[in-house]
Amino acid sequence: MMEFAVDAWRAWAPGMEDDTAWAAWCAAPHAIVDNGEQPACEFVPPMQRRRLSRLARIVMHAAWPLCGDDEQLPFVFASRHGETTRTFAMLDEIGRNAPLSPTQFGLSVHNAIAGQWSILRGQRGESVAIAGEADTFEHAIVEAAALLGDGLPAAIVVVAEERPAPAYDGHIDDVPFSYALALRLSLAGNGPRWRLSLAANDGAAPVAGVPHALRFVRALHDGAPLDHPWKTRRWHWQPSA
Amino acid sequence: MTDLERDIARLIIDTLALEHLTVDDIAADQPLFGQGLGLDSVDALELALALQNRYGLRIASDSREARRHFETVRSLALYVEGSSCAG
Repeated sequence: MMEFAVDAWRAWAPGMEDDTAWAAWCAAPHAIVDNGEQPACEFVPPMQRRRLSRLARIVMHAAWPLCGDDEQLPFVFASRHGETTRTFAMLDEIGRNAPLSPTQFGLSVHNAIAGQWSILRGQRGESVAIAGEADTFEHAIVEAAALLGDGLPAAIVVVAEERPAPAYDGHIDDVPFSYALALRLSLAGNGPRWRLSLAANDGAAPVAGVPHALRFVRALHDGAPLDHPWKTRRWHWQPSA
Repeated sequence: MTDLERDIARLIIDTLALEHLTVDDIAADQPLFGQGLGLDSVDALELALALQNRYGLRIASDSREARRHFETVRSLALYVEGSSCAG
């Protein structure tokens, strides 16, 4: 069992630009249509911004305000599917026997966005990039809890997915639209406290439709416990006073 | 700028995602790397690939000549012209 404070959070999805939009969505969740929108990220200078993929922009937009310019905080980047857009572009090049773009190649690795965060924010501390199954979000929280347990004052966790190219239809079915959730966690902060525990799954099926990280955004709004069964694992989120 | 120089400036902008620039922002004799336009070594690789695809140039990445050809839009245009005359 892990317990921590959620001192700040920010989420992004197409058309969901601010807290008011998320509060309305949490009160009445609806399907979000992804038309390829992406955050402007005007806080990043143009020469650096041009190297940010859509997924990277979504991550930067969500996480940027959670870390002060004078702070050094560990960073956990989590994504089940990662840079599918860059990978798909490279597969297309390979298929045509064309040379690979050096930029696409260098930035397609799973820790590229964590590296860009480190460079853009001058962060020299711990940085983790993970990919898991449908419970990637919970595994990212486990990483952050471990970093906090090591004595770090706070940690930034970002879980992000980009809607992949249509060629992935039928293979990737858990990203109905692009989204990110960024959290700032601590052990002793003033934010609402949550407990995350893991038990064996007794056969419960996961809820389809809404990406799980955004179900947690709902839980942040209504303060209700949240269950997340996946294969042999059953994660339980419990608010604690 | 000549038509070829404008083509090359456009290629640089499109290939390297310099969305904040237009062709008119890049002078033919402005250094492309370092203190000039601010391009870096990854850009050099990406640009070499684009020049190869567009003009059929073969550029040895480690040659001193390549460094000279890549100095400015003008030097790239002279290189493209020289290559097509020779070819």
